Amino acid sequence: MSAEEAVTNGSAPAERTTIGISFGNSNSSIAYTTAEDKAEVIANEDGDRQIPSILSYVDGDEYNGQQAKQQLVRNSKNTVAYFRDFLGQDFKSIDPTHCHASAHPQAHDSTVAFTIQDKEGDSPSTVTVGEIATRQFKRLARSASDFLGKKVDSAVVTIPTNFSDAQKAALIASAADAGLEVLQLIPEPIAAILAYDAKLESKVSDKMVVVADLGGTRSDVAVVASRGGMYTILATAHDYEYAGVHLDKVLQDHFAKEFIKWNTTDPRENPRSLAKLKLEAEATKKALSIGTNANFSVESLAEGIDFASTINRLRYETIARKVFDGFNRLIEGVVKKAGLDVLDIDEVILSGGTSHTPKIASNMASIFPPSTTILAPSTTPTAINPSELQARGAALQASLIQEYEKEDIEQSTHPAVTTVKHLTNAVGVLTISSDEEQGVFTPIIAAETPVPARRIVHINAPKEGGDVLVKVVEGGSHIKVSQIPKPPKEANDDEDDSSEEEESDDEPEEHREKIWKVGKPLAEAAVKGVKKGGKVEVTINVAGDLGVTITVREVGEKGGVRGSLPAP
Amino acid sequence: MATYTEVSLPLPVLPEGWSAEKDFKALGSLSAATQRSIEPVGPHFLAHARRARHKRTFSEDDR
Ligand SMILES: Nc1ncnc2c1ncn2[C@@H]1O[C@H](COP(=O)(O)OP(=O)(O)OP(=O)(O)O)[C@@H](O)[C@H]1O
Ligand SMILES: [Mg+2]
Repeated sequence: MSAEEAVTNGSAPAERTTIGISFGNSNSSIAYTTAEDKAEVIANEDGDRQIPSILSYVDGDEYNGQQAKQQLVRNSKNTVAYFRDFLGQDFKSIDPTHCHASAHPQAHDSTVAFTIQDKEGDSPSTVTVGEIATRQFKRLARSASDFLGKKVDSAVVTIPTNFSDAQKAALIASAADAGLEVLQLIPEPIAAILAYDAKLESKVSDKMVVVADLGGTRSDVAVVASRGGMYTILATAHDYEYAGVHLDKVLQDHFAKEFIKWNTTDPRENPRSLAKLKLEAEATKKALSIGTNANFSVESLAEGIDFASTINRLRYETIARKVFDGFNRLIEGVVKKAGLDVLDIDEVILSGGTSHTPKIASNMASIFPPSTTILAPSTTPTAINPSELQARGAALQASLIQEYEKEDIEQSTHPAVTTVKHLTNAVGVLTISSDEEQGVFTPIIAAETPVPARRIVHINAPKEGGDVLVKVVEGGSHIKVSQIPKPPKEANDDEDDSSEEEESDDEPEEHREKIWKVGKPLAEAAVKGVKKGGKVEVTINVAGDLGVTITVREVGEKGGVRGSLPAP
Repeated sequence: MATYTEVSLPLPVLPEGWSAEKDFKALGSLSAATQRSIEPVGPHFLAHARRARHKRTFSEDDR
C-alpha cells in the first residue's frame, strides 16, 4: 500500500524512520532514540544486542548473527564472516587473514566475492561483498522494523576514521540496495563521544579526549579535541595486530596445550576442533571480564574427547600480556602523534567489545595521570556499555538530522562549513594565586578551539572589591619534569649538556606537571568599583576571522567595558 | 542562555596610575590559527552550521 508508493529518491524527511547502525567486521548493532531523547540499543529476534556480522546458508535458508556464528563449526564454507572492511576494495588490497575458517574472499572484477551455496540445489553462487553487506543490512533493518513496529527506511552508520571514499560509497550503495537511505556516515570515535556527551548535555565543556576502540579484528584510537560540544580529530592510529581475536588466540593456545598434555592430538590441526576451540576461547575471555575465574569446556573437542578446564583472571592477564602491551603502545603512540602528553588528556573513552576487559582499563589508569577520567565498566560505575557506544551515538545523530532535507544535510557537512580556524594557543586572563606575586595564567578558551567561539567566566574580585584589572593574554603549556632528588653520591664534574638525557640509566623518580606559560598580551580592561565579595564576568568572543571582542563587567551589573582586537 | 565557568583565583587590583580610554587597551591580536575540520556531528555542530548559514552571532542565537 503506502509503502509501495515510496518515493524513489529516499523518503520525505517528515515520514522517515531512521535508526543508528554500527557495522563492524565482528558485530553489528542497531539503536534508536526514544521519545525522551534517550538512545537505546535494539535486541534482534534472538535477543542479541551485539549481532555478529555473519551470514550463513543451510539448504537455502539464511542465518544471521549468533546463529550464523555457530555455523562456523559445521558449515564454515557457506558462512561469510569478517567482511566489512572488504567493501569498496579490490582483492589485492584486502587482508583475508580472518576468513581462514569461513568462506574465502576471492577476486571478482574490481571487487571481492565469496563462493557459497546460498540456495537449494547444488550449484554454488558467487556473491559480491557488496551483496553480502546488503543482506546484512536487510537483516538489521528487519530486526529494527519489527521492534519499532514501523518500516525503517534510513540510517546513520558509523565508519572507521580511515575508511576511503570508495569504501564509503560501497557501504552507502549496499545499504541503499537493502532499502536503507544512509543520511550520514559518522566516524566511530565521534559516535562514542556523542553517546557520552548526550548524558551530560547540560554541562558542555572543553576537554581533550582519547577514544580507544578495541574491537575484534582491529583497534582504532583517536585523539579528539572536544570544545563546547564540537569535535575535531587531531590524530588517529589503527592496528590490526592486537585486537580481540588475538586475546582469543592466547586462550586457544593455552587450552590446546593443556589438551595435548593429556591426549595425543593438537585440536588446532583439525578445522572443526579449531572452530570449537575458538568459540569457547571467546566465551571464556568474556567470562573473565566479569569473574575472576572462568570455565572452558567443549564437548568432543577432538577425537571425540570432551575437554573441560578453568583459568583464573591473573593467569589470563599474564599469558595475554603481549596483547595488552600492544594496546598500551598504540594508545600512548597516538597521544604523542597528536603532539600531546598524557597530562593533556582529560578523558579516555574505552569503546568496542574488547574494552570490557578490566586489565585494559587498569592499564589506562596507570598510563594516564589520576586527573584523567577512564570511562570503562570496571573503572567507572556509570560507564556506558562499550559495545553499545557507537550504535547509540549513531542513533542520537539520526534523531538530530532525520527531519532535515538530504540537501541540507549535505550542505552542512560540506568542507566549506566544517573547515574552520582552530586556535593555536589558549586565551585567558591573569589571576593572582596566594603564594605568588606574579599573575597566573587562567585559560578561558582552550587551544584547538574552532572559531567562531565564545566563552564566559566569572572570576572573583579581590576580597575587598574595588578597581580590578583584567589582563587578557595568550597562554601555552609545557610539561615540566623534575627529578625527585636522590641521596647525593659523588659529585659529577662532567658539564657536557648533550649527555644529560643518557644519564637516566638507573631511572630516578620523575615528577611531571603541566605548567602554563604566559604568552602574548592581548588586552587590558578595568572594572571599577567592584563590591566587596563581588565577581567579574569576562566574555571572550572570537570571530571566524580571529577578530576578538572582549566584554568585562561586574556580575549582576549592566553595561561594562567592551573592546575589540582586530583579526591578525 | 549562555553558560559560564567559575574561576576561584582572584583578579589583580588595578595598578596605581593605570588609565585607558573607555577603560580598555588593545595590546595585540591573536596568533595565526590552524585550519582543521570539525566533525559535522552533534547538537552543537548543528547550531554552529545554523549560525554560519544565517550569519548569526552567538548573542543573536541566545535570544
Ligand atoms: N565482555 C567482554 N569481554 C572481553 N571481550 C569482549 C567482551 N564482549 C565482547 N568482547 C570482544 O570484543 C570483540 C568485538 O568487539 P566489537 O563488537 O566492538 O567489534 P567490531 O567493531 O565489530 O570488530 P572489528 O574490530 O572486527 O571490526 C570480540 O573480540 C569479542 O570477543
Ligand atoms: Mg569496531
